[in-house]
Amino acid sequence: MIIGYQPGTGPLHRAHPLTTLTIAGTVAALAFVLPGPVGPAVLVLAVVLTAVFEKVPRILRVALIIAAPFWVFAALLHGVIAQDPTRAVTLSARITAMIVVFLVVLASVHPARLVDALVARRIPFELAYLLSATLQAVPRLRARAREIIAAQRCRGLRVRGPFARRIGVVIPLALPLILGALAEVDERAIALEARGAASPSRRTPLNPPVDSTVDRLTRWSLGVALVVALAIRVLA
Amino acid sequence: MTAFRLSGVSFSYGKGPVLKNVSLEAAAGEMVALLGPNGAGKTTLTRLLVALLHPDAGTVSIGSETTDGKSPEDLADRVGYVFQHPDQQLFARTVLEEVAFGPRQRGVGATEAHDLAMDALVHLGMHTARESHPYDIPLAQRKLVTIAAAVAQRPRVLVLDEPAQGLDRETTDRVSALIREMAGEGVAVLAVSHDLAFVAETFDRVLVLTNGEVVADDCARNLIMNPVRATDLGLRQPDAARISSALDLPGAPFRMHDVSQALAGRLHPGGLQ
Amino acid sequence: MSVEFTAVTFRYPGSADPALSNVSIALGERGSITVLTGALGAGCSTLLLVAAGLAPHVTGGDLQGAVRTLGENGTTKDGRASLAGRVGTLLATPWTQLSGMSFTVWEEIAFGPANLGWTRDRIDGAVDRALATFDIARLAERDPQTLSGGELQLVMFAAVAAMEPVLLLLDEPVQELDPRRSDQVYAEVLPTLAEQAGIVIATTNVDRAVDVADRVLVLDNGRILADGDPAPILGGSTMVAGGRSTTAARIARDAGFSEPYPLTVDALIQRVVS
Repeated sequence: MIIGYQPGTGPLHRAHPLTTLTIAGTVAALAFVLPGPVGPAVLVLAVVLTAVFEKVPRILRVALIIAAPFWVFAALLHGVIAQDPTRAVTLSARITAMIVVFLVVLASVHPARLVDALVARRIPFELAYLLSATLQAVPRLRARAREIIAAQRCRGLRVRGPFARRIGVVIPLALPLILGALAEVDERAIALEARGAASPSRRTPLNPPVDSTVDRLTRWSLGVALVVALAIRVLA
Repeated sequence: MTAFRLSGVSFSYGKGPVLKNVSLEAAAGEMVALLGPNGAGKTTLTRLLVALLHPDAGTVSIGSETTDGKSPEDLADRVGYVFQHPDQQLFARTVLEEVAFGPRQRGVGATEAHDLAMDALVHLGMHTARESHPYDIPLAQRKLVTIAAAVAQRPRVLVLDEPAQGLDRETTDRVSALIREMAGEGVAVLAVSHDLAFVAETFDRVLVLTNGEVVADDCARNLIMNPVRATDLGLRQPDAARISSALDLPGAPFRMHDVSQALAGRLHPGGLQ
Repeated sequence: MSVEFTAVTFRYPGSADPALSNVSIALGERGSITVLTGALGAGCSTLLLVAAGLAPHVTGGDLQGAVRTLGENGTTKDGRASLAGRVGTLLATPWTQLSGMSFTVWEEIAFGPANLGWTRDRIDGAVDRALATFDIARLAERDPQTLSGGELQLVMFAAVAAMEPVLLLLDEPVQELDPRRSDQVYAEVLPTLAEQAGIVIATTNVDRAVDVADRVLVLDNGRILADGDPAPILGGSTMVAGGRSTTAARIARDAGFSEPYPLTVDALIQRVVS
């Protein structure tokens, strides 16, 4: 399961990081604004196609795994209990669209380019690094969790079997995982200091993100689309 | 009685072979060291032994059973694994809890697990730190805790990845002593190391892995006291062995203690005061 | 001198015992290679962190006394800004120094120089030189997450050296390396780096360090036990008996040699044949 940046050459990879982030934000907002089930369903189709065109289809499998429990939950709550299958489909679609777009963004935004994009917007380097590192937090936490779970399996931890047991396995690891992640933030701070982060000079971008006309137009259009969608929703 | 075996094992992570047709077998009570340069595939081999990975070709067996279709937790009652970096596995609130985790997973009662854990900690001289938080003790001691954790599982096979790394001489000696003790109790020990000096002091049987292939499987003496062969295999003779070779000491000793004795014998034939 | 400690006592947060006690020392002049050694927990790593300005700033804790690094006070923001890139620190845990921003080794090594605002040409040159000095050109396109422990340690060392610092503070820099590579570092890399920088190495294994060190500093429980020329200090009976010296010295002592014990294999052999 791949979560996190994958090198690539698709349009989202080449786009200015802020454009990609804007796309994600807009999709997430539209996911909840668009009236269902058609709106969110079309959105899901759109983001799935984006993942394909961006050549990161592997994230779709990850998205499936993450989204599946939500589908089950929605089906039970709205489909079975409330006897409202339409609502179940709508809710599932909304969540799925958000999950897919989040993963697509993680896969196509190079963290250093995001830092450079933010620094170019006069955001202090350390803050930009922190923001970018937060995006990387999910894959890092996963990697760390995998390591710890692998180590504990070697000591007899049972991870297969009923869902309930698997949850029971993860819970005691949650606290040390979080503590470990926090300790890691500390270590990263040392690492940063040691790599010249305190330098008063402006960081040189290694792969400078270019804010092209297409980028700016895209962001504006998305903003407009969102406002329009909101207006329609409110007025309808 | 074979404690563990790899037969014709090949493995790749997807970008080129990491292990090619590797075969290795050890009996109960045998101590085997696996040497090789960084990136040769040593850690991968240990992961195959504990079923964290499964071979693309060939079989891996613990005792008489293969690891086919098995997971690490299935083997935990027979195999103890010590990761290269202790922080990869430490997670409990106290050292004692950490070491008792393995036995507890096997279903052993709290008291018995406590006893097994204390026993292991005493063996490694770490019992005074039993109530400490694992991250409050220095890195070298964390290493000893992870070794204790594997020992507490009472395994029949003990796999250690770079056990001497980051330890000073005194602590390294403690680890060496533990390995010999475990072997004496019938445990088969496989240690992966790039530290030939440590290996020379502790192990009799040495395998060399280069580019995913076993290029030597011999007794330590034959590899260490043969400078030409050592160079061919990409090994650097440890200092004690170099002294022995250069001075052509009687008996061709290669362990520090033996070299000192032989050297003393050469210099003071009547014995030391 | 690059680093000056005046009556420095340092305690980690929540610790009653000081990690460093009343340490006064000057070290790290350009061209020198100093070995810092002692039992595990003696304070060698701490001394490096304080010299680098990372303790107490990032580690927390309480520092008394004065520390001046390259003429700056590393405890102030301006001091740290001025020291950026001029002091290169390599921790004993190389994986914690990954930037998290790079997907190739090349990018990782370029991270430091980029942060220093160098021109693209200067960055390219520095990275190429680092790849050559450390003999890791074949790793340039690899994802740092896929490197083995030893490969990663070399890469992080190269990443720190690429900033062309005038002071290098190294904590167990060859710990993960196989003997051939670690020999290469001591025999070739360190002397090359010493042409431009003062080097301080903290290590518990001094076997190879004595080949290049012109000064040794021995710590014990946070205090300076000995300071000076390696031959008499590491060749002394107390050091050797305490496991603080080289393998050759230990063998010499156990074989009944007289003090000062030879530190290297060659020196030992010389003594025997003459």
